[in-house]
Amino acid sequence: MNYHITHTTKYMYSEAVPVCHNLVHLAPRTLPNQVPDKFRLLIHPEPYSVSYGKDYFGNDVSYFSIYQTHRGLTVTATSDVAVSAAPEVVPDDTAPWEQVAAQLKTDRAVEVLDAYQYVFDSSSIQRFPELAEYVKPSFPAGRPILAGVIDLTARIYNDFTYDPRATTVHTPIREVFEQRHGVCQDFAHLQIGCLRSIGLAARYVSGYLRTEPPPGKPRLVGSDASHAWLAVYCGEAGWVGIDPTNNVLASTDHITIGWGREYNDVCPIQGIIIGGGEHRMSVEVDVVPPEVTS
Amino acid sequence: MVQLQEPNDIVPTSPLSVNGLIQNYAPPAGAYDEFIAANGTPRTHTRGFLDSINGIGREEFARRWQQAQRTVQANDFAFGGYATPEDKLRPWELDAIPLMISAAEWDKVSAALTQRARLLNLVLQDLYGEQTLVKQGLLPPELLYAHPGFLRPYHGQLNPSRHMLHFYAADLARSPNGEWWILADRTEAPSGLGYALENRIVVSRMLPDIFHRCQVERLAPFFIAAQETLHGLAPQHTENPRVVLLSHGPTSLNYFEDSYLARYLEYTLVEGGDLAVRNDQVMLKTLGGLLPVDVILRRQNSSDCDPLELGSKSGLGIAGLRQSTRNGAVGVANALGSGLVESVAFMAFMPRLCQLLLGEKLLIPGVASWWCGQPDGLAHVLKNLDNLIIQPAFRNRGKDGPTREALAQMSSTELANTIKANPVQFAAQEKVARSTVPIWRRDLNPAYLALRSYLVTDGEKYTVMQGALARTSSALDPLELSVRKGEGSKDVWILADGPVDQVTLLEEPGRAITLRRSGAELPSRTADNFFWLGRQMERAEATARLLRSAASRLSGETRSTSDVEVPVLLRCLADQGQIEPGYAINKMRGQLPAIEYDLPTAVFDSSQPSCLRSILDEVYRLGAIVRDRISLDTWRIIHGIDEDFRPAEHGTTTLSDLLAMTDELIAKFSAFSGVIMESMTRTQAFHFLELGRRLERSLQIISLVKNCFIPMPEFPGPIFGTVLEVADSLMTYRARYLANRQLAAVLDLVLTDETNPRALAFQFVQLVEHVEQLPRDQTSPDYAAEQRLAMSLLHSVRLMDIQAIAEVHALGDHEPLERLTAEWESQLPKLAEAISHRYLVHAAPSHQLADISPQ
Repeated sequence: MNYHITHTTKYMYSEAVPVCHNLVHLAPRTLPNQVPDKFRLLIHPEPYSVSYGKDYFGNDVSYFSIYQTHRGLTVTATSDVAVSAAPEVVPDDTAPWEQVAAQLKTDRAVEVLDAYQYVFDSSSIQRFPELAEYVKPSFPAGRPILAGVIDLTARIYNDFTYDPRATTVHTPIREVFEQRHGVCQDFAHLQIGCLRSIGLAARYVSGYLRTEPPPGKPRLVGSDASHAWLAVYCGEAGWVGIDPTNNVLASTDHITIGWGREYNDVCPIQGIIIGGGEHRMSVEVDVVPPEVTS
Repeated sequence: MVQLQEPNDIVPTSPLSVNGLIQNYAPPAGAYDEFIAANGTPRTHTRGFLDSINGIGREEFARRWQQAQRTVQANDFAFGGYATPEDKLRPWELDAIPLMISAAEWDKVSAALTQRARLLNLVLQDLYGEQTLVKQGLLPPELLYAHPGFLRPYHGQLNPSRHMLHFYAADLARSPNGEWWILADRTEAPSGLGYALENRIVVSRMLPDIFHRCQVERLAPFFIAAQETLHGLAPQHTENPRVVLLSHGPTSLNYFEDSYLARYLEYTLVEGGDLAVRNDQVMLKTLGGLLPVDVILRRQNSSDCDPLELGSKSGLGIAGLRQSTRNGAVGVANALGSGLVESVAFMAFMPRLCQLLLGEKLLIPGVASWWCGQPDGLAHVLKNLDNLIIQPAFRNRGKDGPTREALAQMSSTELANTIKANPVQFAAQEKVARSTVPIWRRDLNPAYLALRSYLVTDGEKYTVMQGALARTSSALDPLELSVRKGEGSKDVWILADGPVDQVTLLEEPGRAITLRRSGAELPSRTADNFFWLGRQMERAEATARLLRSAASRLSGETRSTSDVEVPVLLRCLADQGQIEPGYAINKMRGQLPAIEYDLPTAVFDSSQPSCLRSILDEVYRLGAIVRDRISLDTWRIIHGIDEDFRPAEHGTTTLSDLLAMTDELIAKFSAFSGVIMESMTRTQAFHFLELGRRLERSLQIISLVKNCFIPMPEFPGPIFGTVLEVADSLMTYRARYLANRQLAAVLDLVLTDETNPRALAFQFVQLVEHVEQLPRDQTSPDYAAEQRLAMSLLHSVRLMDIQAIAEVHALGDHEPLERLTAEWESQLPKLAEAISHRYLVHAAPSHQLADISPQ
């Protein structure tokens, strides 16, 4: 699938902002099954300079600073991305989950060592005993890991209510767990916490969903904004993406920007401003086949 | 002044034996004592000191100690921060008797410290770089992955060969067999240097003769090496790089130390808000604009240093700092992230790492430590729970977590379960027996000792401080990581074998220096603080003068005119917020408690932000913040002002107490004004302080005139006296007019007389002059807003016809005077705002953009 992506974020300040510094994760990452092209960042007002680099997790980051007084900021990221289907993984053919957990602890191969860092708590995903209890029914002894993950995803999908007004980006997963509602980021965090509770490696993926579904399919939740899901390390089968908000495996409908241990590692736009008073913001995301825009 | 005795003059002044001072000293059995050997005689290296002390005699020693303690009090060198006024109350408990260590022994400690600093630096470079130690299985990956202090944004920020650990400190203790142990490593931003320095200054001044005779190694070489190291970090090797000391700010426990060190090392003391990154270059925000910073001596935690990268909400740090260090545009010591290796978990791996990376054995072993993140360690800890000290495995500065105290209070089962639930987060250490030292009370009592020793390095030359910070506690409990309540401190004397070189921080002779008159380099935030210090100081003085006049009329024998003067004074005091507004209204006064009793308590009511005590708290707080830029004498006056004005400790404060206290205060305010005028260089700091004072004094004069003369009192005679007294102009008036009191003459003296430093016109002249001195673009043809406002104020007071105004005013037409005072009262805040707008706005705090939730 080919997509043209437009992601516009607007901030409006009640008072003047003389200076702002920003760090953004907006460029889709290059992957075996994902080839981004023509990434552009349009920033208004004009920044003093824009620089590009990679973060610790290998994601693309851009930095920019504005030194002229402004009352609003608009950041538009556009790119073309070609996404092909990842090699299919048959859930029942994956290794037993305990075996993957054990491998993570002992195997020092580069890929496994890298995956191992996603087993531990991070600042927004702190495990708690009830989480380990919740995850148990999905992972009976010897169950193939991906089968367990799919089961857990379905349970989260059914047990939790999607409610954009219920949480903020800072709602702890404990609260999400107790109140049983949230948005994609909460469900991703929650499921990551569940999997880490039993020693599995799970990472947070930031990205987009295609805006209009293929003919005959329902429109996916979260397609109007940036989206979040997770990926699980499945041993030899590698990383498999799964989307608890929609109860589906990540497919060619999912475009990956990048990943980290949690939201904070790959937050789309981070910024520090001086002044500004109250501020409001809005986001628009459009993920469409390129011919539609032209 | 104590007459110094020459060494050969020593005549014992009291019949003490050689070990007289310590003859009643009984260290507890089982510990190593630093002064007394197992056979009960003084250790060889302490004998010279003990002989000398016996030489001056116990009484003289006690007398000198008392004097030294007063120095500590007057300098107010406390561990406290300034979050609340109560914080400052803890005094600094220095002990009179220094700890002595022979040079030979300190050489061994130095070698061990050097080894450890080299090792920890290699580990840091690896973990923030290639991570070979983890990849090759030399360190368990959990140690890194579970560590909240592994700050990923700082990974790869430096060229791999760049040294990361410039300042290192180790906490040491001595076991009963006399061997030293490392208790803990400090690698983030070791604190306590300032205390070690201050200890030395106090004790060496108290015992100058003995200090010289004992051939004590100096601390200065350490600080010289520190300066050289920092200067070497400048991106371009400039002769005179701009180095700043980045402090947590006045709410931090370390603020006094930060400010002390900044002054000693002659670096600018800054907070995050004083710095900004422009095009990857770190800049200092000053009155004159942005100036590039070459090197940052970092006292803030790494996790706070770059809010853009780490999303910290602490409000500290500099957005974009990491990008700047990454591009080599600024040097930071210690490197960002250096705190990683100071966690207990790492101590368990030090012996092996030392062997692997340096091919050496540890010269001084660390206290036996186990990390529960490994099966062996966990098993050992669970089996020996009762004999070990359980603690968090990782130090996560500034973040909450289970404390050692909380863990110590758990039952064994509870503790075992807590550990088993998340073993990587826990570590355990053997309990350590520490050595004992005598501390001077009336007699000598033993206390347990821990040493914090310091090292500085540029990666090639390692310099260990010839001295240390000794910490003493009466219990054997493990010491907390930061210096805490109830502990004592000692100066540490490393005794050289021969004469000691004199070294100071002075410039080496012959080095060319460019003469400078410092100008616009004052950080905007500091300018703001000086401005407010000036205002609050003046407000306090005006209030004290009003209170004194009121108290003298309310107490003792009633003057004949009191009943006319008191209501006016009460109106002024109520206007100042010192007393209930009801006291200013005759009809209501009867319903309130008698003012004679209320006044002495109301002024101490700290819940009222406008009461005199609250103003003085603010004076003290601001004084403490700018302490690195004011002289010691100025600070002593501010400290004295704070000390003097306290409610009576026993019983109630009376009017006569208040009278005495305000007298004392006014004398101190005069001392402050004197030292400002005579000793403060005419820098921007001076101009801002003066702008604050002149602005506030103007407002006070206007308020006084309004409250006393509008409306014109029925019997103005006594009120003329009151106004002249409060405005400190009584003597001048008498000299000019004798007892002939007329409104025009009074108004002229307090409003229009430019020769009277208490007159409004004088303040306006000063305002114009100071505004003129502020940095601005000299090529601009226009006057700036603040210049126009100041000049318009001065013109209005110069153009007023005081005779005419007084005449109609006395006849009941208050309009002309009212109109003028109203105009001044509206223009003065505009002037303050114009100054603030132009010079102080970029001191505004920064904050995070709100996050946008993905959907």
